[in-house]
Amino acid sequence: MDEKEKLEKQQAGRRAFLGCLGGAVAGGAVAVTAGSVLPKQALAAAATTPESPPAPAAKAYDPTKHKWAFGVDATKCIGCLRCVEACKLENEVALDAHHFRTWVERYVYLDGEDTPHVDSQADPVNIAAAGTERDYRFSNRYKDEKVDKAFFVPKLCNHCTHPACVQVCPTGATFKTEDGAVVIDHTYCIGCQYCVQACPYGARFFNPEKRVTDKCTWCYHRITKGLMPACVEVCPVSARVFGDRNDKESTISKFLADNRVEVLKPETGNAPNVFYVGIDKDVS
Amino acid sequence: MPKHIVRLLLLLAGFAIVAITVRNHVVDKSFYKIGHYRADAVAEIAQDKPKFQGSASCESCHAVQFTAWSKSIHHSTDVGKVVKCEVCHGPGGGRDPDPGYVHAATGPVHPVNLKLAVPTDSRTTCGVCHEQIAARPLQQRQVVINDHAGTQQCTLCHDAHSPQTFNGSLVATAAPGNAVAGKSKAGACAACHGAAGITNASLPGPTLAGQNQAYLAAALTAYKTGKRSNPIMTGMAATVNSADINNITSYFSSLRCETSASIAAQAAAARKAGAAMCTNCHGTNGVSTSSSWPNLAGQSKDYIAAALKSYAGGQRSNVIMTTLAKSLSEPEIDKVAAYYAGATCK
Repeated sequence: MDEKEKLEKQQAGRRAFLGCLGGAVAGGAVAVTAGSVLPKQALAAAATTPESPPAPAAKAYDPTKHKWAFGVDATKCIGCLRCVEACKLENEVALDAHHFRTWVERYVYLDGEDTPHVDSQADPVNIAAAGTERDYRFSNRYKDEKVDKAFFVPKLCNHCTHPACVQVCPTGATFKTEDGAVVIDHTYCIGCQYCVQACPYGARFFNPEKRVTDKCTWCYHRITKGLMPACVEVCPVSARVFGDRNDKESTISKFLADNRVEVLKPETGNAPNVFYVGIDKDVS
Repeated sequence: MPKHIVRLLLLLAGFAIVAITVRNHVVDKSFYKIGHYRADAVAEIAQDKPKFQGSASCESCHAVQFTAWSKSIHHSTDVGKVVKCEVCHGPGGGRDPDPGYVHAATGPVHPVNLKLAVPTDSRTTCGVCHEQIAARPLQQRQVVINDHAGTQQCTLCHDAHSPQTFNGSLVATAAPGNAVAGKSKAGACAACHGAAGITNASLPGPTLAGQNQAYLAAALTAYKTGKRSNPIMTGMAATVNSADINNITSYFSSLRCETSASIAAQAAAARKAGAAMCTNCHGTNGVSTSSSWPNLAGQSKDYIAAALKSYAGGQRSNVIMTTLAKSLSEPEIDKVAAYYAGATCK
């Protein structure tokens, strides 16, 4: 508790200090950044002229009324990778084996070994098993080994409550929406990739096609229309759940109430909103 | 005022003018409306077109498949195991083929201008979830594909939408009959099928003791209707009515025929004998996993081999057995027959 208070005081102090400093520095800082951001801002301004208003469906959605969260039950995951494929198709992520908004890791403890063998669908052996970079399979590579323990862990952006990636963004391109999703404004992103390095979970990647950073949005275009994220929609074993924590009857509220959940790397202070059941000490 | 102070003030004024100009003309109007970001971006991100449409959108055109699926084990809502249409067939809305990924709000939609895939290689499609690999949880049904199916496709036996429904009208049912009445009618059967329904090498018929009644009734009915033919059985079947069939088959089904070897040893032997794919339906110990299919325990080697050969040759016909029998060579048929013949009646 003391630790937390201390941290809050520290943060408050820093904020006040920056507030004072802000007035003096802002003018110069804005002038400096203006040069690099200018073309994109001009583009953004053009895109939001009154002639092209946002779709009415999106307007009807009230972000202040929702608090989204995600749950993963690793004991159910069968490693079929349909979530990975669905995410790629739904979000138009580059169709190669190196750019993923969500992925699945396999942890395998072989007989007599203390550290797990970890691979994901991006492992060369698994790409070879799938045949092409557009198909995703886990190869049966441990079939002749003696396996002590093994399990799959689906991973995605944790949409943290205190996201380090948002803190380091120099242009305000990545931010946390009022309903809890951490998203990227691609018209403001300058592709500096500070956020890619800041994320302790490796959830972000640089999209070489758009020249901007990309990441999981919890399928923001789906959840705001009352749909489930694509990975949740296709999961055949309900290993992934998603919902609104403001709704006590939602799947995620029940998931959080019925299970003892944990988050990845709690020591980083990011306070993730993706909650796990059935992961192990070596999962991070 | 000293010159250097004037310069400093001018410089500060210049900074202020630039800052205010940038704030008012370059920074988006919605910036800072909610926080340190462009508020309009939220609606823009939410604008993209969803590609996965959900299973409900399939029902109106594909009612038959939808109904089969919604009653099947692939729609087990109680345990959360629901394999939706788009898991195997892909999303109903496609990504725009134009490269550059700037068309998130557009793209073709099934059925107007997007044709969905019907997977043809079911070994790959089903194997995605059902191939036995390390880390897959035990509650997930999984098989070593080569042991379970040999070189066959999964859809040879399983209906893809309802995998516990088996193809080829393989489900036989029969009303239970009166075994005592059946015994009095079954006197003529003993000549070929042995007393108490157990044959030996000198008799031509298969063992009937302990056989599944539904299978026996289906076989006898098939002889009667001409679907199966055999010089002796066709004549015999013509003399019985449907009540007799139920009674006679109940009688033979009630007779005891037990297997001897232990199941684990049998399973290992089955794999060795190349009978692994037979065991899915006929069991490792020759006792079938469904009453629709015949038990093989206690059957003679010659009878099993002859049955397999007649499936391969087309004298007997069954969607699954024909394909499987054709995939076996003559020595393999002998091995399988010998394996099941080893599961003798006590």
